[in-house]
Amino acid sequence: MMSGLIFWQVLINGILFGSMYGIAAIGLSLIFGSMQIIFIAQGAFMILSAYLCYWLFTLTSIDPFLSLIPLLPLFFGFGWILYRGIFHHVARAGKNPSLLVAFGLMILLENLMSVIWTPNPRAIKTSYTAWGLSLGSIQISFTRLMVFITSLAATGLVYLFIKKTLWGKAVLAASEDMEAAALVGISPRRVSSITFAIGIALAGIAGVATATTYPFDPYFGFIFSLKALIAIAFGGIGNVVGALLGGIILGVIESIGAYSIGGGWADAISYAAFLLVIMFRPEGLFGRSYRMA
Amino acid sequence: MRLIKKKRAVWGFGIFPVFVFLISYPYLVNPEESYLISFLFLTFLYVTLAQGWNLVAGYTGQASLGQHAFFGLGAYITAITWRAGWTGYLDPLAMALSGGGAALLAIMIGMPLLAKLRGDYFALGTLGLGEILRVIFTQGGTLTGGPVGLMLPSSAYQSLRPYYYLALLILLLSLVTTALLVRSRFGLAFIAIREEEQAAAANGIPVLFFKILAFALGSFFAGLCGSLYAYHLFHIHPSGVFNLNFALLPVLMTILGGIGTLWGPLIGAVVLNTLFELANIWLPEIHPIISGVFIILVMMFLPQGLVNLKAQAGFFHGLPKGFLLERVFFFKTDKERR
Repeated sequence: MMSGLIFWQVLINGILFGSMYGIAAIGLSLIFGSMQIIFIAQGAFMILSAYLCYWLFTLTSIDPFLSLIPLLPLFFGFGWILYRGIFHHVARAGKNPSLLVAFGLMILLENLMSVIWTPNPRAIKTSYTAWGLSLGSIQISFTRLMVFITSLAATGLVYLFIKKTLWGKAVLAASEDMEAAALVGISPRRVSSITFAIGIALAGIAGVATATTYPFDPYFGFIFSLKALIAIAFGGIGNVVGALLGGIILGVIESIGAYSIGGGWADAISYAAFLLVIMFRPEGLFGRSYRMA
Repeated sequence: MRLIKKKRAVWGFGIFPVFVFLISYPYLVNPEESYLISFLFLTFLYVTLAQGWNLVAGYTGQASLGQHAFFGLGAYITAITWRAGWTGYLDPLAMALSGGGAALLAIMIGMPLLAKLRGDYFALGTLGLGEILRVIFTQGGTLTGGPVGLMLPSSAYQSLRPYYYLALLILLLSLVTTALLVRSRFGLAFIAIREEEQAAAANGIPVLFFKILAFALGSFFAGLCGSLYAYHLFHIHPSGVFNLNFALLPVLMTILGGIGTLWGPLIGAVVLNTLFELANIWLPEIHPIISGVFIILVMMFLPQGLVNLKAQAGFFHGLPKGFLLERVFFFKTDKERR
């Protein structure tokens, strides 16, 4: 097995990497709460944000982390328009059509991006990409640390929004029981639009996080959707902090698995862990028992 | 009486001539040069995959996203047994083994998954299964050829005709099986489980047995398709046969055509495959974009699928001018319009 020092290094890498899954997972979880579907286009939106961040950096040399300031409202707007324009109408016909629209959206975005930016992988290289902090002999990449801090901040904000604001409480209520929420005067359409918009905005954050740390290509997003899905299963659907922790756990499982068994097996290990979790604890590792769809 | 006559007319003027055409077509043209033959071959495979998924999701209500797992497993069983010398070229035994192996895996996986997981969780679980199999076959060493995959002796190839007929046969098999099943007591049980599982169980229907039966049958057909696909390609590799397209496209085709209907998967698969091919020929650059837009539009305006086109057609009548504009840009719902 591995020595103590390497173990800590692998663990920290896993935590930093997993926080990226975590933000995507929170978005996916929020969207699941409002529409009861797995929004598989989440990853495609992430990559779209990564490309926009790439453009802002290469064309106007705006720092990738500062590009969150224009990108966040933009993606929030995307989400709002998408829900109002398409999903609200489709959702009435049931779950399957919504799922397919998400699928169509994914194909559309992926190929649009590959026409605009070519299918070749891109990466953002800033002056600080190679920076690292040293804790003893453990190395921490600066960009990954920034991603970790950003995801903690995003999770914190979403958590505060849900727990402290009236809108957030409405979102929570609607995700637990839409009909009952409508009975007490919560407008399902408004709540769902907000939830959906926040979900897409979180995809935007996750995209910026990807862009600063890894090379990406237009079809990279789908894997992220799947990983975010696993992270939700770990954390429990409808649990914001759980989704972040689920992402981090997934990152740790993958990096330890990749180190000790071999890189090729990492995916199978995380899926196997996922199968075990949904079979034995479908409410998630930290969830209170939550009504399932 | 009128209904029976109408049914006869459908068979006489629609289905029967198409069938005769499909049977005779490979002898009307040179199958090695005809583009349509290889297109139809692939379409047949997709129809079968879609019908297999429809049996599980459409009738039993258990949406699986793991069709590619069984497809890929079937392809690998065929390749491995042929290379080991146990079976031969276009061998019925190999195809039976591939279908049976896929069904066996479905039963083994179905027992824990279907007993415990419902709805979305079952879909996610089967999705995980496909991804695990892909990694296992990528890491499988000499038996599976690793990421490069397995080469089959392509010198065995003689003509495209047998592929075409075998695919057509599998398609008919899946269609007839589904038709017979859903018209029997089994079909009643399937639909009862889909509609209200607890009520079905309370009425003495062995819910788990029927769920696993449907799942195993759907996987059996996916395994058969995989086997034929391997014989067709002569070279299979994990990212090819465990491609998620083989899980997602049948889902798309079934829902597009009309889920839970006998002809829906067929119509959906034919329409979608034709669209993909046409777009690929005329607009090779942007064809996936068009497909994406097409899917979104169909689901926005025909959410029940193409089979129910007529029933939904009323939706378009009596709409005021500028309806679409209002709907998309001003976010007005039906309620607000009134």
